[in-house]
Amino acid sequence: MRRRRLLQAGLALAIVALLAVAVVGLLTARPGTPDRAYELEQRLRCPVCKSVSIAESPSETAEAMRAVVADQVAAGRSDQEIIDYFRARYGDWVLLDPPASGSTLALWMLPVAAVVIGGAVLVLLRRRPPQDESLTSEERDQVRRAVEQARSRVDDEVTP
Amino acid sequence: MTVLTPAAGWVGILLGLAGSFVLSVFGFRAQRRPSAVRRSQLRFAVGCMVGGAVLAMTALEVALLTDNFAMSYVAETHSRATPLFFTITSAWSALGGSIVLWALVLAGYTAAVLRQVRSTDDRLGTGALAVLGLVSIFFFGLVSTVANPFKILPNPPADGPGPNPILADHVMVAFHPPLLYLGFVGFTVPFAFAMSALLLRKGGVEWLRRTRRANLVAWSFLTAGLVLGAWWSYEVLGWGGYWAWDPVENAALIPWLVATAFIHSAVVQVKRGMLQAWNFVLVIATFALTILGTFLTRSGVVASVHSFTESGVGPAFLGFLVLVLAVGFTLFALRGERVASLARPESLASREGVFLANNLLLTLFAFVVLSGTLYPIVVEALTGDQVSVGRPFFDRMAVPLSFALLLAMGVGPFTPYRHASLGVLWTRLRVPLLLASAAAAAVVLLGGISSPGVVAVTGIAVAIVAASMRQLVVTAPKPRHKGVPRVLRGQRAYWGGQLAHIGVAVVAVVIAVSGALATRATVIVDRGQSVEFARYTLTFERSEEHAQPDRLIRDAHIVFRADGEVAWTAEPRLNRFNNQTQAVGQPAVWSGPTRDIYVALAQLGDDQVSLNLYRYPLMAWLWVGGALAAAGGFWALSGRTRRPAAENTAEPVMADA
Repeated sequence: MRRRRLLQAGLALAIVALLAVAVVGLLTARPGTPDRAYELEQRLRCPVCKSVSIAESPSETAEAMRAVVADQVAAGRSDQEIIDYFRARYGDWVLLDPPASGSTLALWMLPVAAVVIGGAVLVLLRRRPPQDESLTSEERDQVRRAVEQARSRVDDEVTP
Repeated sequence: MTVLTPAAGWVGILLGLAGSFVLSVFGFRAQRRPSAVRRSQLRFAVGCMVGGAVLAMTALEVALLTDNFAMSYVAETHSRATPLFFTITSAWSALGGSIVLWALVLAGYTAAVLRQVRSTDDRLGTGALAVLGLVSIFFFGLVSTVANPFKILPNPPADGPGPNPILADHVMVAFHPPLLYLGFVGFTVPFAFAMSALLLRKGGVEWLRRTRRANLVAWSFLTAGLVLGAWWSYEVLGWGGYWAWDPVENAALIPWLVATAFIHSAVVQVKRGMLQAWNFVLVIATFALTILGTFLTRSGVVASVHSFTESGVGPAFLGFLVLVLAVGFTLFALRGERVASLARPESLASREGVFLANNLLLTLFAFVVLSGTLYPIVVEALTGDQVSVGRPFFDRMAVPLSFALLLAMGVGPFTPYRHASLGVLWTRLRVPLLLASAAAAAVVLLGGISSPGVVAVTGIAVAIVAASMRQLVVTAPKPRHKGVPRVLRGQRAYWGGQLAHIGVAVVAVVIAVSGALATRATVIVDRGQSVEFARYTLTFERSEEHAQPDRLIRDAHIVFRADGEVAWTAEPRLNRFNNQTQAVGQPAVWSGPTRDIYVALAQLGDDQVSLNLYRYPLMAWLWVGGALAAAGGFWALSGRTRRPAAENTAEPVMADA
């Protein structure tokens, strides 16, 4: 019994230790230099394709836009400046990642609203008392007595 | 002769339409007064539907194969130069033909339901047949009006433009659309039974029991169709990915998510009598979403809200969608209270509690994808502004939801019903947890991987597989080599589900790994010159032109060398179809068990080529995982699970370890 418990504790310890190794390994890993141009390209929509970003499109338009992104990154402009540059030329349409403001704010609110409303409905449903008005108090007493009887019988059988 | 084939198609469609009318009228009458209708009358109506749909499909194929350009569909989608294989598949490569295929599949499912209905005393069954008849009226009606492929042209052209080039390029066109339709249409059956049960004011699990097969058939086909669609997109479209969160892709994913929720919540109702009303909601939603998906893909509304009234198909689908939602939810609102189950989970820490979490996550997932897909359409319709909702949005939403679903998958199937104590869970999960944490540590230390997503997904996937294996070994009677197959065959529902879970876990790992650890490069190579990529030396040797009857192919020969030895020759190509001005690229893919090398042409000159190169680790396993998931569905429905409708035995209870 005691050895079993020791084994269990060892197992739990091993799991925690291995997880800690993984987490520490991840935290101390040298982060690769982020490819800023590629990250920006993924957020810009290719104007001549179907719903892919300029990072993914083989079209000439996308290639030209990628060159612009690379130039501006090299010139040291910030992400926001580069995004705004394209936004001014192509409109909001070019942003694959809709900003949480203006006409796309509602899109970000929808999932939040769904979670809040869904959660509220669930809580209400769980709180609603079971609908057993069909039983009179007399009937309920009957049921309770029957259950108690049955229980005591089972106890008698179980206890030697 | 040229008029005979379209005329035969017409006759088929009208026969099917008449059969659907008769089926719905007689079906509803039989549901009200079983003695008023004989089964042979229903059988006759279904026979007309099946016969009519088969005749129409045959006429379509014959017209395509005999180059019958007097028929509108052939004149629009076929050309004399189209190869035989793609001539056959053009039957569903455009609108009219694909609705004929839809009607054929629907007639087939209706015939399968009829086999279950042994006599007209089966009021649930006759009502379901009536609803199937109503839905068939819509589809046969569509083919006979706005989507009619059998119009006879007074001045037939000598030749046609041929099919859409993307649909005449890959063998997958023969499999992906029919599989998707088998999935989409299959969800009409549970919808029909649910409507019938509501009409009868009869809750309970009978409608779920009787539609279990249809659900699983539809779900498995839809899963297979989705995975094949992703594969096709990867092999053909040449942008280097398999999933773009394109509205057309989302249109198939959303019903899949809701249907997956439905399959799980149906289990809860059958085993524990809960979630009855919720199941009605899910089944109506699944069916409505298949119609919405078809509306999105077929009406042109995605390209622009202004183009969608051009064909009558968009408004027809939209009208039908509104009708389905209005009738379905009105009926549910009127009768739902009567059929709602009163049972509540005793404790949320139980199998039914995890099922509930799974359902909430899947429906939230479906809702997020749906809102992201519809949002640009709604904004454009209301304000005229054009906005985009693309991969960054969907990824940000999908990643946390998918992680939560994977966690539920790792815990749920091993949690007891009613109430789970921590002790039981620890007993069942301690070894899987040990293996999972060991895998996570190994991936970090030995694999040198610094992406938290990859490490977490690997750990959870290992836990799912290990917990499943442990459960199998522990619950199998001794001797194991005989007991394990017996358990797998005996409890097909549970082990089919586990197989599907393992498939999904594999898919999740591949998505994470191929995304985070991909290598990309864009290179420009002169003829005879070489570049380095992924430890290979690539040489652009030559480009060639091949003339085929329907296209001109220009390809580049890129030789991959490892240590001086030729390892592979990539031949990415540009297809210029005779009647299309824009050339269509086709990438070259070198698949292997550890990685895929993907070569797509950006530009091809005589002396210079511009290439997009990708290396995706483990990519090929994505299709394996998808196949496992679909196979799990088929395994769950195989075997002798059919029982007489009257018999009301419970499913065998899972042995607990």
